[in-house]
Amino acid sequence: MKVIFLGTSSGAGKTTVTALYCRYLSRKGVSVAPFKASNLSLNSYVTKEGHKIGTGQAFQAWVSGVEPTIDMNPVLLRPLGGGAIDVIVNGKKQSIPQEEVLKEACGAFDRLSKKYEAVVCEGSGSPAELNLLDRDVANIGMMRERNVPAVLVGDIERGGAFAAMYGTWLLIPEDVRPLLKGFIINRFRGDPSILGEAVERIEKLTGMSFIGTIPYMDLRFPEEDSLSDTRGGPEGPAMMEAFVKNADSLLETAEQYGLDLKKIEEISSS
Amino acid sequence: MDNITKKVKEEIERGWIGPDKSCPYHPCHFTGQDCTFCYCPFYPCHDEDLGQILRSKRGSDVWDCSYCLFIHRQETGKFVMSEIKRMGITEPKDPRMKSILTEAKARYFRKGRSMMVLGATSDAGKSIAVVAICRILHKRGYLVSPFKSQNMSLNSKVTRRGFEVAMIQTIQSKAAGLRNPDQYMNPILLKPKGDTISQVIVEGEPYGDFNVKDYYGKFVTGPGAEIVERNIEFLKKRYDAVVMEGAGSPAEINIYDKDIANIGAAKIADAPCILIVNVEWGGAFAYAVGTVKLIPEEDRGRIKGIILNNIRGDISRMAPGAKELEKILGIPVLGMVPHIGLELPLEDSETLRGMKSKGTGSMVISVVRLPRIANFTDLDPLFMEDTTVKFITEPEELEGTGAIVIPGTKNTVNDLMWMKEKGLDKAIKDLKGKVPILGICGGYQMMGLALEDPNGIEGPRGTVDGLGLFDNITRWNENNKKTIQDEGVFIRTGEPVTGYEVHMGDTEIREEPLFRIERFTGDETEGSFREKEMLFGTYIHGVLEKPSFRRFFLSFVKGGEGILSTSPPKDYDDLIEENIEKLASAFESNMDMEELMKILEGER
Repeated sequence: MKVIFLGTSSGAGKTTVTALYCRYLSRKGVSVAPFKASNLSLNSYVTKEGHKIGTGQAFQAWVSGVEPTIDMNPVLLRPLGGGAIDVIVNGKKQSIPQEEVLKEACGAFDRLSKKYEAVVCEGSGSPAELNLLDRDVANIGMMRERNVPAVLVGDIERGGAFAAMYGTWLLIPEDVRPLLKGFIINRFRGDPSILGEAVERIEKLTGMSFIGTIPYMDLRFPEEDSLSDTRGGPEGPAMMEAFVKNADSLLETAEQYGLDLKKIEEISSS
Repeated sequence: MDNITKKVKEEIERGWIGPDKSCPYHPCHFTGQDCTFCYCPFYPCHDEDLGQILRSKRGSDVWDCSYCLFIHRQETGKFVMSEIKRMGITEPKDPRMKSILTEAKARYFRKGRSMMVLGATSDAGKSIAVVAICRILHKRGYLVSPFKSQNMSLNSKVTRRGFEVAMIQTIQSKAAGLRNPDQYMNPILLKPKGDTISQVIVEGEPYGDFNVKDYYGKFVTGPGAEIVERNIEFLKKRYDAVVMEGAGSPAEINIYDKDIANIGAAKIADAPCILIVNVEWGGAFAYAVGTVKLIPEEDRGRIKGIILNNIRGDISRMAPGAKELEKILGIPVLGMVPHIGLELPLEDSETLRGMKSKGTGSMVISVVRLPRIANFTDLDPLFMEDTTVKFITEPEELEGTGAIVIPGTKNTVNDLMWMKEKGLDKAIKDLKGKVPILGICGGYQMMGLALEDPNGIEGPRGTVDGLGLFDNITRWNENNKKTIQDEGVFIRTGEPVTGYEVHMGDTEIREEPLFRIERFTGDETEGSFREKEMLFGTYIHGVLEKPSFRRFFLSFVKGGEGILSTSPPKDYDDLIEENIEKLASAFESNMDMEELMKILEGER
């Protein structure tokens, strides 16, 4: 099983949804690993082997009940300021061409696929950046190389969520577009029934299935995104336990709100 | 009437003067106004383009042209005076005056153009783009007005006539060089009362409470469109350009037909539109493409340009994407605007959500983050000083604070109960006399002995104990809302204070006052003050904007005086002006202005 959660923007909720789905599978007894090909972040978590990975993947691993490893986030891009970036591949600072980065990412993905029944991937930023499309690794790159079906996550709080869904679908290269299977509306407040027609329209226009809304919730996952304000990393088993507990309660809320996790399972198995 | 005739006669004798910078009220309408005719020589012209008949309180009809700017245009003033002189007119009642007005109108009166800034999301930069465009057009000699048909915000201001208008439109009107914002610039103001209910203010006055369903089902489909239309028309008759701002995204397809805030308003005004997208969050191209493509084909053509906003780092790296976007949509990218560090008011409570503190200065000011906090732009001037402003919800967070501010609220009684549940009431009372405490509006009401609401206007019927910091009693006797501008002095220093009041409930004051307010009916005192205990309370929103009171209050913070002495006091108004200029020049230098002007003039 494999699936990738793509965001229509940064902070759309990819990290959380990925964690929720990891938790869902893990509670069902499926062995699952999170994966994010590359991460642009200032925060990192140090694995037992001493490798730096994105904090998001560490949380996702915990809620999956597995030990975080470097394969879950093989490429770490560390902004140095002034536009310069450190590329850390498999724990080592490297200067390698674009294709090589994708190759390394695929290698890590393959190792996880062998070891686990499900690999739940998280994209990076928006997959529809016109100025970056040809260099994309974490979104289109992985979808194309490993035929990973995708679910779009859009943030409705700022408005324009339907435009973001449709626009992302339109801008994704045609060869991978059929892999876009579903969409989730995150940070929704109020009565979901008011979305009715709009949701149907997006389904009709794109062929993607509506998977549900996730209500506005105070998330206790420190967002790993470089844009978000995070102070201090996770510490100790108590912290880990708190995350797992929080993931469980989020999962329950999301299910109550009608998030169709079975549908995601179908997509992951397709 | 005779008095006016006499004044006009004097004006005629004096001749053309242009802007009168020696007048203490200058500019009373707009920067660059012509002051030749402070009193209009055509009054009462009874021209419906310029004024309207009003029923006075005594029941008689009065010709009201107080919103007319025509005679204050330099070209009009100059022309009218030269005609008067040419014809040798000396008396205002000369019958030939009428023909001068007709000729002046034929030459210089034209209905204004409009353009609209749409955003792909909230916070895309619509408001600031309108600020920038207003200022750019103003500098190019346009008489310009901002407009937002429907604004949802808890930050409103009061106009000189006592009408409520959203705060951001007041800043935009300042950018347009206008002295006074008016309710026409934001005819529908929604003030959220909870997640689903809003108080609807129409043309500056309370209209009713609506939930989301009724707002769209009854208000918008009922009077909504007509309200938008008459206000746009009103502004078009008075201004050369009406720069309109959309609300949220124009592509919310579930409410598209009922949306009078975006394309709906643009259609009413026949305005070309520009779409602005915030690049910072990523996905900007998708947002742009999706927004345009979800707008029905027959309306899509209104979108004449796109602005990519808030780009951090190297702008040129966006260029290939922008080119591609133009190719896909067939709409030019008018500008790529960098991130601009601004000090402008926080627009809505969305910006406050999750904000724990702002600034890293020496003086720690704790603001009680009331659940129904309102008019929190009151706090903005604090950010100009060497402060750390913390938004607190728990008593423990008050530890080590240098001062406390209890801000305004949409519901005083409920928020007071919330403070009691949290134990914040006790924590604040414990700090009495130890740190300065300032209550503004609802926060001021809370500071009193009791809050009496026998008819259940604000909350449940009955009396609630206040914090007891002052001996005041606030009563809600009738559903009467007070909205008024205040101008006066801070009694202690004799220096100016300006602001406005928006509140229900009246306070019986049993304390030394803070301010003396000038009114037509004579001076009034306002506020409460106990110097020894460092207690301050006032109804005046914007009370911290002028440096005098702000600095006085902060001087009570431990070590405050020393900290303050290292920087000269600054008027918040000047800061806003600096930021408007900064914005306008950033937009102007990163936008294809020629194309923008063509769009405005309907040549695209």
